[in-house]
Amino acid sequence: MKKQNNGFKIGTIVVFLAMTIMYLFPTIQWNLEQRHINGMPEAEQAQYSEENRERLQSLQENSLSLGLDLQGGMYVTLEVGVNQLVLELAGEFADETLRDIISVAQGRSVDQGTEFITEFLAEFESRDPNAMLSRYYRSDVDNITRRSTNEEVETYLRGQVGSAVDRAMEIVRSRVDRYGVTEPSILKQGNSRLVVELPGVDDEERVRDLLRGTARLEFRLTPNAEDMNSAKRQIVNYFENAGSEEADSLATGDSLATQQTGGNPLLQIFSPQGRSEYVFGYAAGPDTARVNDLISREEVQNLLPRSAELMWGAQPFATDQGLELFELIPVRTQVEMTGDVISEASVEFDPNTNEAQVAMAMDSDGSRRWARITGANIGRPVAIVLDGYVYSYPNVITKINNGRSSITGLSGLQEAEDLVNILLSGALPAPLDIIEERTVGASLGEESIQAGFYSVLFGLVAVAIFMIAYYHAGGGIADLALILNVIFILGILAAFNATLTLPGIAGIVLTIGMAVDANVLIFDRIREELRAGKTLRAAIDNGYSNAMSAIVDANVTTFFVGVILFSFGVGPIKGFAITLMAGIASSLFSAIVITRVVVDYLTREKTSTISFG
Amino acid sequence: MKWFESPTYDFIKGQKIMYVVSGVLFVSSIIAVLTMGLNYGIDFRGGKEFVFDFENNVEVTEIRSALTEPLGGTPELKLFGSESEILLRTDAEGDISVIQNLILSNLQELYPDNPVRVIKTDLVGPRFAEDLKIAAINSILFAVAVVFIYILIRFKGWYFSAGAVAALIHDVVIVLGIFTVIEPIVNFNVTIDQALIAAFLTIVGYSLNDTVVVFDRIRENSLIYKTMEFKDMINKSLNDTLSRTVITSVTTLFVVTVLFIFGGEVLKGFAFALVIGVILGTYSSLFVASSIVVELQKRASQPKS
Repeated sequence: MKKQNNGFKIGTIVVFLAMTIMYLFPTIQWNLEQRHINGMPEAEQAQYSEENRERLQSLQENSLSLGLDLQGGMYVTLEVGVNQLVLELAGEFADETLRDIISVAQGRSVDQGTEFITEFLAEFESRDPNAMLSRYYRSDVDNITRRSTNEEVETYLRGQVGSAVDRAMEIVRSRVDRYGVTEPSILKQGNSRLVVELPGVDDEERVRDLLRGTARLEFRLTPNAEDMNSAKRQIVNYFENAGSEEADSLATGDSLATQQTGGNPLLQIFSPQGRSEYVFGYAAGPDTARVNDLISREEVQNLLPRSAELMWGAQPFATDQGLELFELIPVRTQVEMTGDVISEASVEFDPNTNEAQVAMAMDSDGSRRWARITGANIGRPVAIVLDGYVYSYPNVITKINNGRSSITGLSGLQEAEDLVNILLSGALPAPLDIIEERTVGASLGEESIQAGFYSVLFGLVAVAIFMIAYYHAGGGIADLALILNVIFILGILAAFNATLTLPGIAGIVLTIGMAVDANVLIFDRIREELRAGKTLRAAIDNGYSNAMSAIVDANVTTFFVGVILFSFGVGPIKGFAITLMAGIASSLFSAIVITRVVVDYLTREKTSTISFG
Repeated sequence: MKWFESPTYDFIKGQKIMYVVSGVLFVSSIIAVLTMGLNYGIDFRGGKEFVFDFENNVEVTEIRSALTEPLGGTPELKLFGSESEILLRTDAEGDISVIQNLILSNLQELYPDNPVRVIKTDLVGPRFAEDLKIAAINSILFAVAVVFIYILIRFKGWYFSAGAVAALIHDVVIVLGIFTVIEPIVNFNVTIDQALIAAFLTIVGYSLNDTVVVFDRIRENSLIYKTMEFKDMINKSLNDTLSRTVITSVTTLFVVTVLFIFGGEVLKGFAFALVIGVILGTYSSLFVASSIVVELQKRASQPKS
């Protein structure tokens, strides 16, 4: 009876071992390949990788993947600006009341961690229970009219938010793919969040811009130069009278302010002339923020023509004593065309200056409008505005019929490439905000791998020596189970396609210490039974069976903790929870089943003995 | 080798002294947390954290004073494993790229001949931090509830549940207190972050492991020695399992110490919490959990007058 029982146990052990080896095989192969490739001369590396690409790729996909904290990379959580979207959906119906409701609702949803739409509706209805949301929202497609009920509008808004999040995800995916990251992962989290994992990425700045880049491209006309010049004179006069005490507080540091004296706070940091009559003036890079503060005053804004606003050039046009100078360019508030009409975009080089620029082609509707706009404004500049900065304001020379245009004034090839990427993947339906970002450099990752490896090794050795010293042969058997246990954990991780993180390795180390607990319980019981005068066989039988309930209870509770950690934790902590759970499962198996088989084998003869210390 | 073979310590008698020890530790931990405040990491507070790797050694105080003005507030600085790596935490508002470049340019100005690079960045928005905090609190409450219910079902006595949960609270509060007190002294990161919550839950699991083994023995002994007084039975059970409790604590202490020494800078605080937690967990399952069970059982079994 017992023989048969052990046969089954041995069978299970063999099956588990075979499965573990099967699941870990690609990982071992992949690592050997990596070593092989790294050992080659550089010229051969690329060729070898190219020739074996498919095989290597499948090896990599099937091997145990390392977390970003080990291989280096970037982990970003993005939040879709639902409040922005709800405001934008109202379009021209949006008024002060709606803006106020949205900002109150946003504040409350942030404070209380509730959903924005719910707060928005509650706030809207609390102001006037009879008010109709359809005052602000219309949609032909979704059949939202003046007579739609608030419930219908709510469904419509929720639908719009949902599809905006989905679209944002598609766009982010397409941008990441174009950027070229191996094995990126993009997942939706909750209602309005995206989690992006980019292994091996180390240019954080570029990726941040790429992920949240709205690339809102606008074609705008420039206002009448005469009107702007007279407005400029009035503004300068306004600051002439604004008093000189302000000026002192503004003049700091190594800006243009130190070079010019006089009581006019604007003129201290701003020169009201430009390369052409269309330019409002220029300022040094560090001063632009202060110029913005000055001209954003209501009195100043009132002096500008209603249809005009001021925007900074994207690139400096000159430098003066090491300071980059930026132009302030007036544009019309009305947007003639947006980036929606762009059907193609590519990087080109200016034949004269060899600077990178982006060439764009428009769809038929866009081409028609572009022809009309250029035709009506020959000899006057058209401003190409990207994300609130004027990239160029070329003078229209002839009417353009083929829908061609280009963005010049970029900082270099990289910006041109990223811009093409963003233009082609489409505009984001709502702004994306980075609410969490974790970047680990490759070098730190390598250090962590080493630290983790040594921790596992030293932990294993320390526990193994102690167990043999304390339990003699029994300890040796427990050590065998312990080593198999570590291999099983890795096998389970590979089988479930889980990622090995640094906290995950910590989980393995911890498991090494706690896994022997089951054997300690059993062996102590066996010693107790032996002390009570039982035969070795009986002591072993009783030891195993009496220790069982304690082992089960202790491990079930720890497993619960693992489950809780897994469901609440994020990122690397999940990795810790996974190895903890895998460790408990496999340690139960190795500590109870494997050691039993070995102990039984060693005591198969009546006369054989085994020491439990 | 044999430790604690048939020991006959009187744990319940020793509880008077232990009540004092635990009480003092527990109360001073609460006082420390209340007066010094919990030292949240950016996970729960929001903010930006960078690790800079210099080629040569740097002076933390110099960096602190050089960056205070540009960042508009004193940043928190700690060495990160070596004298040439620093961890910087700032609440400065604004775009992370802008702040990163601002710090880098100031550092280069401060140490022109000491090249620096960023090897780790963490950004957590205030709203996201709030979410993480709620999730962390929920997970701990949830874990305690699960423990209470599981023990209630398996051991059929609410005083067992209460004893186990009291031991857990005892352990977690004292670890929190120690973290709060040592923060200004030690040279590694001991802020309260997600990893620490994971450590807490592990401590909960570990401490429980010990407690459950003792309770299991109590259950078993109560079937064998039906006439024995409850207090004596608990004492016997503690002695019966003492060898196992100590051995498992020793092996676990081995590995968490290894983790603390060799596990790298990222895991220092986490491993430290585990080291304290294992010691406390062993102590509390021997003295706190069982003492409370005895106390509660005594009161519960007294006829109401």
